[in-house]
Formats: sequence, C-alpha cells, structure tokens
Amino acid sequence: MDNLKTKHFTFQLKDLEISVELIEELARIDDSMPEYSRFLKEEIDSTLSLSQIEGGYTILPAQLDQNTIHIGDHCFNVGKSIANKFTNSTHIAIFTCTTGPLISDRLKELNSQGLILEAYLIDLLGSVMVEKAMDKLQAIIEAECTSKGVNITNRYSPGYMNWDVKEQKDLFAFLPENFCGIKLNESCLMTPVKSVSGFIGIGEKVRFIKHACQSCNSTNCLYRNSKNHC
Amino acid sequence: MEKLFEQLAYCIEFGKINKQSPYPPNMKDQEGAGELTGQLLDQGVSADDILQKALIVGMERVGVKFRENKVFVPQVLMSAKAMDAAMIQLKPHFANNPGSQKGTFIIGTVEGDLHDIGKNLVSMMVEGNGYEVIDLGTNVKAEVFIEAAEKNPKAVIGLSALLTTTMNNMEKITIAIKKHNKNTTVCVGGAPVNQEFCERIGADNYSPDPQGTVEFLNRTVA
Ligand code: B12
Repeated sequence: MDNLKTKHFTFQLKDLEISVELIEELARIDDSMPEYSRFLKEEIDSTLSLSQIEGGYTILPAQLDQNTIHIGDHCFNVGKSIANKFTNSTHIAIFTCTTGPLISDRLKELNSQGLILEAYLIDLLGSVMVEKAMDKLQAIIEAECTSKGVNITNRYSPGYMNWDVKEQKDLFAFLPENFCGIKLNESCLMTPVKSVSGFIGIGEKVRFIKHACQSCNSTNCLYRNSKNHC
Repeated sequence: MEKLFEQLAYCIEFGKINKQSPYPPNMKDQEGAGELTGQLLDQGVSADDILQKALIVGMERVGVKFRENKVFVPQVLMSAKAMDAAMIQLKPHFANNPGSQKGTFIIGTVEGDLHDIGKNLVSMMVEGNGYEVIDLGTNVKAEVFIEAAEKNPKAVIGLSALLTTTMNNMEKITIAIKKHNKNTTVCVGGAPVNQEFCERIGADNYSPDPQGTVEFLNRTVA
C-alpha cells in the first residue's frame, strides 16, 4: 500500500444517527425519571446541530514486534496485548476525531444555569458523538482498504491497556499541526475534550477483533457491559 | 417532628424537589424537599437540625446506594436538586451562624486536566453531607489550592484527575501543598487513581467514590 497523505472529513450530527433512547439508556435514565427526551431531541436537532465534528487519518508503513510498533523513526510502546491485536499489519492508520468545541460551551452554559442533569446528558451525548463519528471514520478507512484488497483491525487508543497516554505526543507528530482544531497540552490532554486518537492496523492478513468488556481492564467504565457498547 | 424529618430525608433520598415536581412518580402531588423544609423552619426548628437530622441523612443514603450501583448519576443529580431546594432556605440562617457546617472541603481538577463530572459529583455529595465546599474548577494549579487552603486553614483538599499523565500533576500538587503546610489533608480520586498511588504521593485518603470521601471527612473532620 502506498504512503498516503492526511485525509480530513467533517460530519454532521444528524448523520451520526444518535437516538435519544441510546443516550437515556447509557445515562441509565429509566421510565420513572422526568422526561428528558424532548430536551435531548431539541439539542440534537437544533442547538448542537452546528457542532464542527471532524476527523482524519494518515496511513503509514509500520513494523511490528512483540510490544512495539515502529513508524518512521518513532517507536510506539503499545504493550503486548495491543501489539497482538495488530499482528500482520503492514501499515497503520493514525487517526484523530473530535466533536469540536460547541459541546463544552453548551456544558458551561447549562451548568451555570444550574441545569445539572441536562449538563450530564449533554456531556454523555458528546462522548457518544465522538465515538459515532469515529465509527464513520473507521468505515471510511475500511472502505479505502477493502478497495485495495487489504483488511483492517479494530481501533486502539493511547491510554488503554498498557499503552501510555504520553505517546499521544508522538502520535500527533504524524498529523499536521492543529489538525481538526485539536490541541494537545503538556499532559497530553486533547482539547476540545470530546476528542479521541489512536491506531488502526492494516494488512492482508490482519484480524478484526470485536471489543469485549471482559478483556478490558477498565472495570469501572461507564459503558461496561452496556447493550449498546460492544 | 421526627416524622417530618424522615419525610424530608426521604425526599432527598429519592429526589423529590417540590410539590410540582413529577419525580419520582410514586410521590406525584406530594410535598417535596422545598415545602417540608419551609414547614420545619415555620415550626421553629433550627436550620442546623434540619440539615443534620434530615438532609444529611437522605444524602448519605444516596451516596451509599450510588457506591453500591443501586442508583446512577441521574438519580444522584435529582437528589442534589432536592437538596438545593432545601439549602436555599437554610443558607440565610447559616449566614448568621457560620460554625454550623461540619467543615470546609476545597476541590478541583488538577492542572492539565479538564474533566469535571466526577469532581462535580464529589462536590455535590460532600456539600449535601453538611460541609462547605469551595470548588476551584478544572485545570487548577498548586498555588491556587495553597492560596485557598491558607484562607481556610482547617479545610481538607480534594484533587481529581482522569488521565495517568495528569496524575503526575496530582503528585506535584500534593507535594507542593504538603511542603507549604504538612498538616493540610489531601484526598485524591478519579478513574485511574488508586490506593497505592495515593500512598506513594503522600496523600491522606483515596476513595473510588464520593461517599468514601464523605466518610473520611466524617471520621477526621466533623
Ligand atoms: C467517557 C470517556 C471518554 C469520553 C469523554 C471524556 C470526558 N470525560 O469528557 C471520550 C470518548 C471523549 C474519551 C476520550 C479519551 N479517553 Co476516556 N474515558 C471515558 C470513560 C469511559 C468514562 C469517563 C466518565 O465520564 N466517567 C463518569 C464520571 C462520573 O466518573 P469519574 O470522572 O471517574 O468520577 C468518579 C470517580 O472517579 C470519583 N472521583 C472523581 N474525581 C474524584 C476526586 C476525589 C477527591 C474523589 C474521592 C473521587 C473522585 O468519583 C466520581 C463519581 O463516582 C472512562 C472510563 C472510566 N472508567 O471512567 C475513560 C477514561 C477516562 N479515558 C481514558 C483515556 C485514555 C482517554 C483518551 C486519552 C483516549 C484517546 N487517546 O483517545 C481520550 C482523552 C480525551 C482528551 N480530551 O484528551 C482512560 C484514562 C486513563 C489513562 N490511561 O490515562 C479511561 C480511564 C479509560 C481507561 N483506559 O481505563 N474518554
């Protein structure tokens, strides 16, 4: 596969197909709770519809060994379990994706009005937005790869399993400065907060392994064992 | 009187704000935290008694249920709203009697980190359990914690971090606080934080959930 330049995409909130029911389910709002579906629908259809959701990737050749992935002159210490998932990758798609800053602005507004439950739901919505946008980006990467006769792995991010968040510095070194409007601070925190980054492995013989909560060490995760997550 | 206290505690536990509030459905059209607090005050009950014998009792039950995964964030937030409806009426009374709160808790998300839902939940729970809470927000530097601690000498400090990288800043901040005044108590928490880390950086308490901090404060401060 050839070295490709960075590709950039924007997404519309309405195209992410986020249902009010999904947010309510993840928030564990049951039938006894006050009615928030109208609020959520209004936020999705209008207030947040202008969110600048964007993402992109670059595909580069990579060499793997037991614990590491070498790309250019960088060596990523992803740890054994993640390295395993990339077995047989000849290339890596380095990606990032964000909801843009509108969510954070809206959160500030709601919190300052004392609307804490609404703020919580919007925070959750933001997390779902970036994951759904990532699903779209992953599908784009997959389509590009399939058209060239190669397969992709699932996506993996620094900060998961034994992959140190610090390596996000090196990851972003492969993307243009200020790519998708994302900034990384000294502690490797991305702003806008609702952003993700990571790798997808590419190769003829790679295997796509579905995420399984049982094999993840984040035992207190918000999404753990939720019907809609895995 | 005891019955009214229990009713009010129940409203806090189940998030019944006031009569108009439709939540929880099985308490529809019943009086909520707002009305019951008003009635207790009208009967001459002290704000302090209302806080201690009803509000804190209810909030503690929510904290325990949250820790045991019997209720989730939205229910906790409903309880916080009910608590607010009561506190609005009690605050003017406390203003004349500053000693009535159990102690002061200063909380913030550490420098470099912007996550705040976890911190906000801790802040609400601690406040609901009768402490004054000073919330310094997110991305808070050591100097700001130290300055707040100087203004409130007996306050306990709570630090929140959500990334392993910002945990390093938690360590720096804890060391700086302790260097400034070794008697300042520091509590730590957040998804990647654990007991071992707490001990290593010389913080005084780690808790995976807000209720743990409340219990620690009740043991050491109140
Ligand atoms: C939702 C989520 C996201 C969302 C949104 C993040 C947000 N908050 O806005 C998205 C998808 C954007 C995201 C992105 C990332 N995430 Co994330 N995310 C989560 C997840 C699943 C839930 C976080 C949450 O909202 N929890 C709900 C709140 C209520 O919980 P909480 O904040 O932890 O607070 C509770 C306790 O911790 C405690 N507490 C909190 N503070 C304090 C303070 C004191 C004093 C006390 C006593 C208690 C206490 O009380 C609270 C109530 O119980 C966690 C997994 C998890 N286990 O939590 C990972 C997690 C936080 N993410 C993680 C990572 C690595 C990332 C990324 C770096 C991944 C990447 N490379 O793309 C990025 C970073 C984003 C950025 N801006 O830089 C890691 C962080 C650990 C680490 N290795 O550093 C976690 C822990 C997952 C894991 N690997 O285990 N994430």
